[in-house]
Amino acid sequence: MLTKKDLEHLADLSQMHLKENEEEKLLRDLGGILGHFEELKELNTDDVLTMNGGTSSVNVWRSDDPEAAKLAGDRAKKGFPGTEDGYLEVPAVFDSSAD
Amino acid sequence: MDLKELTVKKLQQGLAEREFSAREVTDEFLKSIETKDGEIGAYLSVFNDEARKDAAAVDRKIASGERPSGLSGVPFALKDNMLVEGAKTTAASKILENYVASYDGTVVTKLKQGGAIILGKTNMDEFAMGSSTENSAFQKTKNPRDLERVPGGSSGGSAAAVAAGEALVALGSDTGGSIRQPAAFCGVVGMKPTYGTVSRSGLIAMASSLDQIGPFTKTVEDAEEVFRGITGRDPLDATSVEYHYESIEPEDARNLTVGLPKEYFISGLSEEVEKGVQSAIEKFKKLGVRFKEISLPHTKYALSCYYIVMPAEVSSNLARFDGIRYSRNVEAGTLHDLYLKNRGEGFGAEVRRRILLGTFVLSAGYYDAYYAKAQKVRRLIADDFDAVFEDVDVVLTPTTPTGPFKFGERSGDPIQMYLSDVFTIPANMAGIPAIAIPVEGDKKLPIGFQLMGKHFEEDKLFALGKLYESN
Repeated sequence: MLTKKDLEHLADLSQMHLKENEEEKLLRDLGGILGHFEELKELNTDDVLTMNGGTSSVNVWRSDDPEAAKLAGDRAKKGFPGTEDGYLEVPAVFDSSAD
Repeated sequence: MDLKELTVKKLQQGLAEREFSAREVTDEFLKSIETKDGEIGAYLSVFNDEARKDAAAVDRKIASGERPSGLSGVPFALKDNMLVEGAKTTAASKILENYVASYDGTVVTKLKQGGAIILGKTNMDEFAMGSSTENSAFQKTKNPRDLERVPGGSSGGSAAAVAAGEALVALGSDTGGSIRQPAAFCGVVGMKPTYGTVSRSGLIAMASSLDQIGPFTKTVEDAEEVFRGITGRDPLDATSVEYHYESIEPEDARNLTVGLPKEYFISGLSEEVEKGVQSAIEKFKKLGVRFKEISLPHTKYALSCYYIVMPAEVSSNLARFDGIRYSRNVEAGTLHDLYLKNRGEGFGAEVRRRILLGTFVLSAGYYDAYYAKAQKVRRLIADDFDAVFEDVDVVLTPTTPTGPFKFGERSGDPIQMYLSDVFTIPANMAGIPAIAIPVEGDKKLPIGFQLMGKHFEEDKLFALGKLYESN
């Protein structure tokens, strides 16, 4: 059973702040969903290989040739919310008030 | 011009014979959007000026003697998770509310090069997560067949746009039924191609091993035409494959054998849906198609399997939305706070639920019991299909267990909502093509049947569908 502590840990791993009063509903919903998954235990899958994607194609490396990037220079920057003097602008990483 | 009767085929003829111009057709659709969309809510954005300009360019080409072909002049609506350079692409999420795409997705490039007209972007469940379009952060989309009911989801806006005559064709994405389920709910054709036949480059990823782009149209014939126009290997999507689509004659579909899996005709299937699907089967039988009862024994596990594999991929794909790239909404003191706040406030409840669930099934101590187990069950589901396709050409099932439900009817209980995709999920798990086709006849609410085929055997699905609709 998922506990409140587990939920907080998952939120922390997901880098996502939970809203006030939503924990109870989340625990109930996630509990219900995880309960539904119990049916998979009926199946013996000891000798089954995992299916790791949507295709049975095997990996093929492309040749290592230089190609023009589809998204270079100004076009790439357009997709970024903050730029200054041609640089990408990001918020401060550290809290400057703390030692 | 009668928009209701217009199809891609008729549009191509009309343009070639100069019966009308691309600009006139586009104007008609833009007018239809203006009059109807206030009520339906299919679109999040409409490209009035660009659409008229693009249509005029098609007309100039026709005037200069070029014969219109394929998708040229065809008015499209695109689900708002497909990137169109210079246009807002929100995935119906607050976290992308202000994001403007910096490049065209590959399908968009193909449409533009083919002369298609992009009318605008349609509403959807946030990041394609949902079955009713109620999870959009921005607006409700109503089912054009009954305004008190949902259009289905997650591509509800695209389905509603075609059903309401606000677009001739729309594209959606299908991860567990997000094209076929809303198509069934709105009474239009919706198709999910074989995984790898349509490039996913420029589609905002939800679950990359399951996502596939496909068309909404009024007829199967049109769906085939659109599929032909968007398929092909793309170096920008490593999972896309070289594939040259060739159609087969509908008449030849009479020689196909169709399987009816007993696991899809079960309790929980509504009486109307069962009757509707039976009537489609009867029609096929009269046309000479042979049926055979088959079994896909792992069907009942597909829903659980999907709700492990999909959230796992979601939790990883949506990690890129960090509140720094794409769109910046909430300011915060430190980097960590910025992540927590932007993601916590920018994602809606269903998206948060799936990220948490995905993080859980991938976490140490639970990975083997959930994620690895689900990947093995996924193999069993795919093996079921491989086995039946030794025996039958195509599998026919209902598209959904029930018809469209009312707003709010299922939004309180995630499992009830998830169950509306129970018949569409297996095709995504196995990577096979599937098409949802409306059952003919006057019905209060639309009902759909689904055809599923072997990998890369779209031709049989289209041929059977065309046989059904042309007789």
